[in-house]
Amino acid sequence: MSELNSIQVQVAGLSKRYGRVLALDGVSFSLGRGEILGYLGPNGAGKTTTINVLCGLLARDAGTVQVCGVDVAADPVFVKSRIGVVNDTSNLYPELSCRRNLEYLGELYGLARATRRQRAEELLGMFDLETRAGDRFGTLSRGLQRRLTIAAALIHRPEVVFLDEPTVGLDVPSAKSLRELIRQIHAQGATVLLTTHNLAEAEALCTRVAILVRGRILAEGSVNDIRSRFGKVQSLSVAFSGPVSEETLLASCPAVRAAAISDGAWTLDAANLHAALSQLVALADRLELTVIELSTSGASLEDAFLSILQQQDHAGAKG
Amino acid sequence: MSALQRALSISRKDVESYYAKPPLITWGLLFPVVLLLAVYLKDQQGYLAVCPGILAMTLLFGNTSMAAIVVTFEKRTGTLDRLLLAPLSMRTIVLGKALSAAAYGVCTALVLAVILGAALGMPLARPWAFVLGLALGAGIFSLFGLAAAVLVREVFEAMTLLNFFRFPLLFVSGVFMPLDTMPGWIYPVALASPLTHVVELLRWGLFGQSALGGPWIPFAACAAYLVAAWLLAVRLFQRRLIQT
Ligand SMILES: Nc1ncnc2c1ncn2[C@@H]1O[C@H](COP(=O)(O)OP(=O)(O)OP(=O)(O)O)[C@@H](O)[C@H]1O
Ligand SMILES: [Mg+2]
Repeated sequence: MSELNSIQVQVAGLSKRYGRVLALDGVSFSLGRGEILGYLGPNGAGKTTTINVLCGLLARDAGTVQVCGVDVAADPVFVKSRIGVVNDTSNLYPELSCRRNLEYLGELYGLARATRRQRAEELLGMFDLETRAGDRFGTLSRGLQRRLTIAAALIHRPEVVFLDEPTVGLDVPSAKSLRELIRQIHAQGATVLLTTHNLAEAEALCTRVAILVRGRILAEGSVNDIRSRFGKVQSLSVAFSGPVSEETLLASCPAVRAAAISDGAWTLDAANLHAALSQLVALADRLELTVIELSTSGASLEDAFLSILQQQDHAGAKG
Repeated sequence: MSALQRALSISRKDVESYYAKPPLITWGLLFPVVLLLAVYLKDQQGYLAVCPGILAMTLLFGNTSMAAIVVTFEKRTGTLDRLLLAPLSMRTIVLGKALSAAAYGVCTALVLAVILGAALGMPLARPWAFVLGLALGAGIFSLFGLAAAVLVREVFEAMTLLNFFRFPLLFVSGVFMPLDTMPGWIYPVALASPLTHVVELLRWGLFGQSALGGPWIPFAACAAYLVAAWLLAVRLFQRRLIQT
């Protein structure tokens, strides 16, 4: 079945314990060809642990892990030749120049001399590092180090790319241009697994997200799906043709949780958008006013993320 | 590209990054030169007899230390992960790391030998046996250094672990004292020491004679130690570098 063939990363029941810490507790997810999966979770959730198992740096305790159809533990060399990994730290050779770093890694991946030279130049161009090509990696700023580290992961044109917090520690323009590069990598056909603490970034880049909390995946789906399933609060902004007091508004519209007015327009938090809208219209009719302005903004991924964490905390407190 | 070519790439990079640095080369030479000079000043007839021992000792300390330092350092900076993430077998990685350290050891010892030959008249009866002795010794000790490096976290821990073996070896291996003048009970211990066999192979190379009769016993023992050190290092890399 072609659908099965297009699964690039398949993780099932993955568990990993460090001494007494259970870092991963039965994690399962899969990643189809050409997807960008946002692997999100608070500090210590187990994101880096998952990536380290997937790329063969860490042994697992239980579960199955297949990358490009092959178990990493069974044939690490095969899997490693098809994946590109950006660790959470920029770990290239500080004493080598940018160009030499790329060419050396090309050698390790078995590229012929001409191919690796050409590929190194191509990546230096793509990541806008040509002018620094001869400088030692250790002398670059953190942002440029991050760029080169990502470039290095692409030297062998991997099918699957693991990015562990690629934009961490970058200034706003650098992070933005890196996101652009990640889109490019994806557009060239790579499957990407990305961890980040920047939820707007995940929202902008990912086709799907999985939310990991204390070693378990609590939610998985498209960004819209997660937003509408878990984003409890939606925000809307309303202006009426005449004055309405806050007490009246809150009393007449039970679906509205909080209200604040500025410049004659109300900003409201609604638990249920549909109910809130009909209650607001009913209120306007009753006061013989009209609604002169209305806009809604759905829950952001961040709201959804926070509400998932809250649910988990409640569950944790009860258990 | 074959596995051997990739191992050579690793070695070339390590030579470029670490071993070809002038301070390292002088550091490797300074100690044995000073030591030999001291022996020479004390005993201008007998100093030649300790030459093979000092050369072997230079290999022992230089190679175990350098191999261990490079790997511990790369573990700390995270650059060792680059090798572990690349499509390389542990054998290729161990070979690459050991070859560069061994090349450094052989080059340092050769420079030392040239100095000793020119300045103090050290002979060279069997050049091939001498070079073979240097190469085998450098290989064995580099692999031991690599093995020690993956057992510990810090450089000083690696040195402590290695010294636990290195200093005793120095005393039982005929470095300063000919094997036949040693107390009888040490003799079997001496025969079990890889350093003894490196010293005797070098002695054969320099003087055409050895305390073990000919070159064959030390050569066979060195070859066996090389295989054992290789198996140990590869196994420890496989066991310890993939975290559990
Ligand atoms: N080498 C280790 N030894 C012991 N515990 C570890 C080790 N590595 C990670 N842990 C623990 O495993 C859990 C998961 O860690 P992990 O680094 O995978 O989290 P993460 O999701 O990547 O967090 P962050 O967002 O902070 O990078 C944490 O509780 C962490 O303390
Ligand atoms: Mg992490």
